[in-house]
Amino acid sequence: MALFYILVFPGFLFLIGFALAGEWLDRKLHALMQNRIGPPWFQPLADIIKLSAKEDTVPNGADRTIFKLMPMLALTATVVAVLYVPLWSKNALNSFPGDLIVVLYLLTIPTLTFFLGGWFSRSIYSLIGAARALTQLFAYEIPLLLSVLAPAMLANSWSISEISAFYAQRWYLTPVNIIGFVVAMVALLGKLERVPFDIPEAETEIVAGSFTEYSGRLLGLFRLCVDVEMIVGASLIAAIFLPFGLGAPAWLAFILYLVKVEGLIFLISFMRTIMARLRIDQMVDFCWKILAPVAFVQLVLNLVLKGVVQ
Amino acid sequence: MSYEDIPVAEASPALESERLLQQQLESAFSELSGKVTIQRVRRVWVEVTMDQLHPVLTHAKDQLGFGMLCTITGTDEGTHLGLMYHLASDGGVVLTLVTTAPKDGPGPQTVTQYFPHADLYEREVIDLLGVRIQGVADGNRYPLPDGWPEGQYPLRKDWTQEMLEVGKEVEP
Amino acid sequence: MTDRDVIKVPLGPQHPALKEPGNFILSMKGELVTEMGVRLGYNHRGIEKACEQRSYLNDLYLLERICGICSHSHSTAYVQAVEEIAGIQVPPRGLYLRTLVAELERVHSHLLWLGVAGHEIGFDTLLMYSWRDREVVMDLLAALTGNRVNYGFNTIGGVRRDITDEQKLEVLKATDTLEERTKYYAELAGHETTLIKRLKDVGRLSKEDVLRLGVTGPTARASGVSRDVRKDDPYAVYADLDFEVITSDHCDVYGRTLVRVGELMQTYKMIRQLLTQLPDGAIAAKAPRKIPKGQAISRYEAPRGEDFHFVRGNGTDKPERVKVRAPTLVNMQAVSTMMKGGYLADMPITLAAIDPCFSCTDRMIELRDESDTACGEYSWPALRQLGISHHRALGIDFTELSKKLASRRDRV
Repeated sequence: MALFYILVFPGFLFLIGFALAGEWLDRKLHALMQNRIGPPWFQPLADIIKLSAKEDTVPNGADRTIFKLMPMLALTATVVAVLYVPLWSKNALNSFPGDLIVVLYLLTIPTLTFFLGGWFSRSIYSLIGAARALTQLFAYEIPLLLSVLAPAMLANSWSISEISAFYAQRWYLTPVNIIGFVVAMVALLGKLERVPFDIPEAETEIVAGSFTEYSGRLLGLFRLCVDVEMIVGASLIAAIFLPFGLGAPAWLAFILYLVKVEGLIFLISFMRTIMARLRIDQMVDFCWKILAPVAFVQLVLNLVLKGVVQ
Repeated sequence: MSYEDIPVAEASPALESERLLQQQLESAFSELSGKVTIQRVRRVWVEVTMDQLHPVLTHAKDQLGFGMLCTITGTDEGTHLGLMYHLASDGGVVLTLVTTAPKDGPGPQTVTQYFPHADLYEREVIDLLGVRIQGVADGNRYPLPDGWPEGQYPLRKDWTQEMLEVGKEVEP
Repeated sequence: MTDRDVIKVPLGPQHPALKEPGNFILSMKGELVTEMGVRLGYNHRGIEKACEQRSYLNDLYLLERICGICSHSHSTAYVQAVEEIAGIQVPPRGLYLRTLVAELERVHSHLLWLGVAGHEIGFDTLLMYSWRDREVVMDLLAALTGNRVNYGFNTIGGVRRDITDEQKLEVLKATDTLEERTKYYAELAGHETTLIKRLKDVGRLSKEDVLRLGVTGPTARASGVSRDVRKDDPYAVYADLDFEVITSDHCDVYGRTLVRVGELMQTYKMIRQLLTQLPDGAIAAKAPRKIPKGQAISRYEAPRGEDFHFVRGNGTDKPERVKVRAPTLVNMQAVSTMMKGGYLADMPITLAAIDPCFSCTDRMIELRDESDTACGEYSWPALRQLGISHHRALGIDFTELSKKLASRRDRV
């Protein structure tokens, strides 16, 4: 039964399906907002199937092992992360004190694989993309950590399931974390490398950044990984900042969960529709000078609040 | 065709500024008298020798307000090559300095020190007509590809495309 | 700084930022560009040489194909020179219609630029919107001239098609729509934070540099230099039109955007004037087949800057020499000045901001195979044969299909 949970529902298969649906939703919304028609519902799946039918090429001079290993590592890390995030019940599939840190760590791995994969491609565009991916990681990771740290402190727990349960019981405390929610959403855009933070894969400058040399199945895995990362990231934010309806009957909670995640995907699409790509220096400036201090305000606020509550 | 074929505009009050330009040029360079032609309003042509090119060019740029070099047109005149430096002023007047260069000997000095944007214009007449402009800085050729055979100047009248294909094997 | 710190990033000949081939080698230290090398000529097609081998009328259509975006610019610049040599008086209605298409072309070119600029800075929404609106003017051009690009509208002595009263109304209606949309973009350019962040202080070019480097068109006007052939050296009917030359003192890409959007508004004004003042009468004068001896210079304010044509006739039906200088050739040489000390990320938009058109700039091609193994030149039939045998080796064979098609043709 545990194997079924992990492999089929709500584990691997469900996650992949949901991720592809999420990508479609993102692309469709983006297209509609841009006055386009957008792709049909099966397009993301068709893309993956097409990519897996194509030849994998490894550039001359690239480190073959690392080059081929990185996409798998990236996908594995994101898929594992979902086990610790409560989706529509109060408890995640697997949970232990401190799993919040583990999830954040697991969600960092894809970026590191983008870096390593790009670095060992030995292409000039991949190299620049890799350097940018890492620079960007240092810029958004701190605000993201701070923004989820604040609610965790108020809930007095490092376990996502417990945090979720805490806020589900005290729904009136949820609006307190609104600043953290905004910061986390912006940081998630950086993590997913979406406009305005798609700097590491800025098409008009460095072709596709780290992914320039990737093709076939390997590229398919990377793309799948980004899709899954979007779902996991959105689920994490939903679990921490929007813990409504967790106690409802399973079917209702499930629908609520879908609505929440899709709402967040809408926000992501909306942001990338209305903005232009920033420059890496502007991005780092923004993250350190605005995003991090704002996240810090949330932290102080929650510290004070905690003192008052106790 | 020779330079004398340019029709000379009728005298009219509309050409006052062009006539003034003609006087200014002729008074600054006595040897230019009779060589300045007013074709029509805002079109003035001057015939200069290769040696006079630089003094007239700098005079036009610094004293007469011709700050823009529109382009350099190269022509094949049969026995020699023709070069036209089209200068434009902010008032819309185009002053064209017409000069000649030998087909095999050295051509005029580069004008990039006065007009940096003349660089590609000069490379173009070098590549397409084989004008040997002196003092051109090192750099990429323009516009022909790097492997272009020596001594082939496509815009010369005796050049045909067949000259390129003679003796070349075509891949099956 | 050692050589190890400097990386060389090639942009092109094929690169997503470039819509046409050109090669730029950026020497970079980190994200900063220290030096830039340019190699052009990939689009050279020998049009100037080809012009000498064709009749004046054929050249008109050839020159129109120098560039798809500013095709009317090149053909107008050329016919103006030919008409001057031949002493042909174009009827006023012909001149008005020629100017009308010229201004419509400016609308479509500037809207296209706006979209490309958006795309270069990762703002695809702007691309989608402005290109959607561009369809309005493209449809209009198709209705007036018969084609969306390469209009074939000009002929020596005038234009080839007249405009009906219904079409006049259609143009006016479309102009209103476009004006409203352009106002929206002007507002957007003034408010959208990420857009301004990416455009302001990028690709700076001072007024002195503009004058020194002979830059033309919107690029020059965005640095406060009021340089516009339509005002300075009026051609067609621009002397009768009431319009302003839009300039800006920003000296950066943002200024170039404002100038282009401002110019669009002026263009709508001009289109209305052209239609209300449109005189009756013939649209073209008869032109002789043989053009007398003589030479003429024609300047034209294309959407990208000054287009310069020189034509020399020798008394036959073929010109002695046709010389084309497109605005990009001169503006391109200012890009390295703009890029010095800039970020890699700003390179695409800086380049795009001069609205480059390499097809216009280069004009000749010799087909050459420069790969390591095979080196040779091909004539057209040989190239075609090569293509057929290459695909046949891959198992793609159209021999049977061609036979079948040929037999079907015979039966009919």
